[in-house]
Amino acid sequence: MINVCNIVKSFGENDVLKGVSFKVEKGQAISIIGSSGSGKSTILRSIVGLENVDGGSIYIDDEPLVENGIYVDDKTFRSRSLKMGMVFQHFNLFPHLTVRENLCLAPKCVLKRGKDVLNQRCEKLLEKVGLIDKIDAMPSSLSGGQKQRVAIARALMMEPEILLFDEPTSALDPELTGEVLSVMKELAAENMTMIIVTHEMSFAREVSDRVIFMDKGVVLVDDVPEKVLVNPENERIKSFLNKL
Amino acid sequence: MLEFLLNTIIAMSKGVGYTVSLFVITIIFSMPLGLLCTFMSNGKNPVLRAITRAYVFVMRGTPLMLQLFFFYFGITKIPFIGQFLVMERFTAACVTFVLNYAAYFCEIFRGGLLSVDKGQYEASKVLGLTKWQTTVRIVLPQMFKVVLPSVSNEAITLVKDTALITAIGIMDLMHITKSLVNGSAGSIEPFIVAAVFYLMVTFGLTKLFNYLEKKFMF
Ligand SMILES: Nc1ncnc2c1ncn2[C@@H]1O[C@H](COP(=O)(O)OP(=O)(O)OP(=O)(O)O)[C@@H](O)[C@H]1O
Ligand SMILES: [Mg+2]
Repeated sequence: MINVCNIVKSFGENDVLKGVSFKVEKGQAISIIGSSGSGKSTILRSIVGLENVDGGSIYIDDEPLVENGIYVDDKTFRSRSLKMGMVFQHFNLFPHLTVRENLCLAPKCVLKRGKDVLNQRCEKLLEKVGLIDKIDAMPSSLSGGQKQRVAIARALMMEPEILLFDEPTSALDPELTGEVLSVMKELAAENMTMIIVTHEMSFAREVSDRVIFMDKGVVLVDDVPEKVLVNPENERIKSFLNKL
Repeated sequence: MLEFLLNTIIAMSKGVGYTVSLFVITIIFSMPLGLLCTFMSNGKNPVLRAITRAYVFVMRGTPLMLQLFFFYFGITKIPFIGQFLVMERFTAACVTFVLNYAAYFCEIFRGGLLSVDKGQYEASKVLGLTKWQTTVRIVLPQMFKVVLPSVSNEAITLVKDTALITAIGIMDLMHITKSLVNGSAGSIEPFIVAAVFYLMVTFGLTKLFNYLEKKFMF
């Protein structure tokens, strides 16, 4: 479903991704872990087109977004990347719009869905994330956990086949992470394809089909959670897990 | 006494027309022009960027009075093309005010634009919104909220700045006030009437902007 092939990216002198490859099959949940600055966010941002890679290829359903460092044209990129939704660490809700408007704006403008369809789907998704009573609230009146659940619902409104999460609970008070993680667990149980950058190891162990350990711009290990998180052989992973 | 006051007000109301028209025209044209400048000065084209920066620098760095004289008298003295640039007094005043205020609005909007979080652009992009949709639906509303207090300040300053057009002989409120004071043997009522008028307008504007700020509270 997603095939990331040898991608390379640097910011000036700083080589952030030094040939990263991995695949995600449909219905899988993959966690990416690793220390700060190892390039986890940059990978996600490259896949959705918020950063341009310098080399390598990214395929979605065997269709390229970028091939050997050469991007497809903007229009093709946009239509192919619409299969992906992204959830940010800092939610990035639109503060001037109500929860309902946050959810409906993009599918209305981009997918040209009708009003009734949108309202129905909006209510269904808010029901799912447990926030139907907040449908007319402004984002500023929500807690962090509620904001992140709205952000997840907003991403789902675009009917994505793949969801990317960049540390979705890192900006939350510890007592609010549970409500967000349980929504994500539910998605995993429904076989949503997901790539999750996270520091929540027990969550990663529970939901992931595979865990990728990043270190200084390379994939050090890509294996089932037991191998990476429970009985790691690699010394760097051991010391990383011990520091948590 | 009352009759005298009434006559004063009637005489002065003729000047109000110029004052109010200038205010309205300036607001209507300078804000969009200022916004255009904002986008040009933040845009990719280095030539446009340089031009707008220079324009803003000159308009903000010289007195409005000087600009007014320039557009009414000075511009006509330019060799060869000057003769085609002769404007009516009031037209010259409008051109000057629109260009001057656009420069201030440009700077105000630029600050507002910078205050919009980059996460807003990223979320919009990932959701598939086009640049135009992002600008109109996401960025501008958030920018307006931020700039509202400064725009309110500018609008109030503008009300008072309109009095400057007296200097190029337009019969605005200020001009009539002055001639009434000179004419009727040292009476000061016209000053008071004029002051009350300016105060009423600025008061109304303050109320309007307070309302807008409440509406844009999110
Ligand atoms: N826009 C940018 N400009 C310059 N350098 C950047 C930019 N974005 C990221 N970097 C650098 O790239 C490196 C990797 O950053 P990245 O955000 O991918 O790390 P991360 O693994 O997500 O870390 P964290 O756990 O702290 O989020 C860092 O050294 C960072 O300073
Ligand atoms: Mg990161």
